[in-house]
Amino acid sequence: MLSEIKVGGKPLPIRESLVREMEVAWKRLAGPGTWWTGAERLTIAAEARHATNCRLCQRRREALSPYTHDGEHDAMGELAPAAVEAIHRLVTDAGRITKKWVRSLDLDETKYVEIIGVLAVLTGLDTLHGALGLPLTQLPAAMPGEPVRRKPQGAKRNLAWVETVAPEDVGAGEPNPYPLHGDKNIHRGISLVPQEVINFFDLDVELYMKDDEIRDFDTEYRAISHAQIELIAGRTSALAGCFY
Amino acid sequence: MSDQGLVDSIPNGKVLMDLVEAVFANADLAEARQAVRDDLGDAAFVDACGTIASFSAVVKIADGTGIPLEDYKEEVSREIRQELSINEFVT
Repeated sequence: MLSEIKVGGKPLPIRESLVREMEVAWKRLAGPGTWWTGAERLTIAAEARHATNCRLCQRRREALSPYTHDGEHDAMGELAPAAVEAIHRLVTDAGRITKKWVRSLDLDETKYVEIIGVLAVLTGLDTLHGALGLPLTQLPAAMPGEPVRRKPQGAKRNLAWVETVAPEDVGAGEPNPYPLHGDKNIHRGISLVPQEVINFFDLDVELYMKDDEIRDFDTEYRAISHAQIELIAGRTSALAGCFY
Repeated sequence: MSDQGLVDSIPNGKVLMDLVEAVFANADLAEARQAVRDDLGDAAFVDACGTIASFSAVVKIADGTGIPLEDYKEEVSREIRQELSINEFVT
């Protein structure tokens, strides 16, 4: 089913399911997460948008190695330095993040992983708007409530630079993203905060395709073909410096 | 098959690539957007933008967490990774 999105005053057709998940994504960004409050999550989002103007990040990005430039970020001043460092690197130079850098952050790993989740969703939303020709959405008002503050019991450091939760280690009562979205490494990446896996992939399957649709070459699920989608995906990934 | 060969082999490949390049260059996107809308239609344009958004976003997870390639991806990409010496860049 198609809905409409106004771009330059004119309506463009957009899948209702994508519109729905965009609205859900904004609400989730504004609400309490697992480790950060709604207000903090929106501050993370605001800092992420601000990071594109950071002079330290620009010097680091232009350098042969980002680790040759020390200094202070041009930050909004509302988050601790470690959180700012994480946000700015993820936004401006994620392709050169290293295990050593991740481990050096003076930030709980759970909070770092939730930052990744927030930034991934924000990037999806903001990039879609930018590509369509829409201005950035104004960040919504924060919703009240306390973070859940529950770490998965089955988290282990046996796959990535951060702890992750294998499908077989998801505990009773914990959010389980795997039955719905799949259990590839990309799904496990931020599973230390499993709600963030759900948050991101609920949106991503509408931006891209669901896991079972990706290899169903007998059916076209979008107004562009599988081949066209993968051409775009490959080039986007290459320009983003991602070789996963 | 060369990059250009691949683009040429897919219908409307060039206008889709031009859109991706323009998004990443933060360039004037008007021309690139209109070309996709003219050649493929508005619904296709929206879905193309969605795909760009998806892959711009998912890279944050891969890069931020350091997840490895799955075995099946490692196998199919072994030759090209050797040709490009990607494995030399260990993090």
